[in-house]
Amino acid sequence: MFSGPGLATPSIQSCTLSITADRYHPCRPTASEVPLGTCIPPAPAQLAPMSIAPKPTAALIIVGHGSTENPDSSTPYFDHADEIRRRNLFREVHCCFWKEEPSMREAPFLIDSEEVYVVPDFISEGYFTQDVIPREFELDGPTTRRHGKTWHYTLPVGVHDSMTGLLLRRAREVAPDVDPAQTTLFIVGHGTGLNQNSTKAVRDQADRIASSGAGYARVLDAYMEEAPFIADWHEIATTPFVVVVPFFIADGLHSYQDIPVLLGIETEVGPAASQREVFRHNPHHLRGKTLYYSSAIGTERLMADVILDQIADFDRTHLP
Amino acid sequence: MIAQRLAQAIADGFRQIGQIAIVPDPAGSGYSLCHVDDLGEMNASSLDLHHSPDAARDISTWAEDGHYRFTKGELSLRRGWKLVLADISELRTALDLFYPAAIGLWLAHQDGRLTVQTLREKLDRQTGMYRFARNLSTPGAQRLVQEVCGPGNCCVKKILWDIEPGVPLEPSDASRFPGYLDTGTPAIPLLCREACNHFVAEARKASKAEFDARAAAD
Repeated sequence: MFSGPGLATPSIQSCTLSITADRYHPCRPTASEVPLGTCIPPAPAQLAPMSIAPKPTAALIIVGHGSTENPDSSTPYFDHADEIRRRNLFREVHCCFWKEEPSMREAPFLIDSEEVYVVPDFISEGYFTQDVIPREFELDGPTTRRHGKTWHYTLPVGVHDSMTGLLLRRAREVAPDVDPAQTTLFIVGHGTGLNQNSTKAVRDQADRIASSGAGYARVLDAYMEEAPFIADWHEIATTPFVVVVPFFIADGLHSYQDIPVLLGIETEVGPAASQREVFRHNPHHLRGKTLYYSSAIGTERLMADVILDQIADFDRTHLP
Repeated sequence: MIAQRLAQAIADGFRQIGQIAIVPDPAGSGYSLCHVDDLGEMNASSLDLHHSPDAARDISTWAEDGHYRFTKGELSLRRGWKLVLADISELRTALDLFYPAAIGLWLAHQDGRLTVQTLREKLDRQTGMYRFARNLSTPGAQRLVQEVCGPGNCCVKKILWDIEPGVPLEPSDASRFPGYLDTGTPAIPLLCREACNHFVAEARKASKAEFDARAAAD
């Protein structure tokens, strides 16, 4: 199994919130390596995109999961690619998928450039980012030279520090008038007994928000398929207001169809997001509480900045 | 440069890919695309007009009957649209949305640098839930190609791969299909360099069915 892009150096420039070592990513520096407190936490709503030097000779490949059942699953990836393409930072920007076309094995044939950044547009490190993507791209480390090209493989977007500010921004947008002190914020992931990393990314983000000074009464991680179950949100939360942000890239089957049923907003799985006229109406008065439910975090346009942040981190770490 | 070579190919007379007709603007550097069956109405107002290459994704997502076209080689592209593109860059973007990577695969094939993987290589490298696909028998694999691939099953890519070294596909509509619709117009073929992940998912099911059948017989 490929162990990921390896140790990263501190990403001071991109840090949007203060961190403590025990909440930091295992692939990143330990407490002794990180000058804690050197990050000045900006207000999350003022999340500023980090500058990245243009790479006019390089290609960017955004890797997504995709779906054979719901085309909404791949929409965010195309949106992120469009946003980055619009900024003219790369010579070319493409998407590829596990379940859709082009596949990862077809993607190299899209590319003219000799230098390629491969960014997993995934929430967590795990099976896909550590096994499937390296295998399909034939990568053997952070940088691989193969087929006449140089391939740089970054960490997945979901584990980047700047994701924390994005989650907070989304939480505030969906419930702008509630008092955080009377609100429980749930960050919801899929959860699976097969890979602990899939919950770690969610738990890390919940912990970072809790310690950010955002003022929420509680910030909790919860899951669809393992404890703590999001279906028990009304029993877990002790506050009158509850905000739920799905920590998924796409408004696919999970965030738009499955979680609403688990929350009690819907009684049965509805049609795909793209086949509905309007997004869900907040708030929902359910189970004695006032519930606000947002779309998946990956639909946030500023996700493009997280992709660029991850590339900037890669450069600082591996291409000094 | 893929875009420049695409422009040259069109200048050389290639005017079709999959179910799409490519019409260069005689007065400028632009291109228009439409469904091959709408070519006679290209200048009629009955076609929905689009000007952004991004429209290609919307046009190609749903088939006429409402099903999701997750395999883009499907012979189910809907009619009734015309896409007007400003230049070769926009044309390439649009074609990569209609038929992902098809232009690059074709050019690599022409150059002799297209790597092809046998079905056995593809199945053997699967892990996780798909690792069971590798147990599919060779007769089962031959059968599955004819049940999943080819124009009879709505995929119109030219299959380049064998089942395994020395074991080519059995002759069938799927194995014989050239990757383009025979309209008399020179066409860029859609090429299949290895079995798609949809095929792998079906191979997993077929492998399980074989296992269950053996267990029932024992």
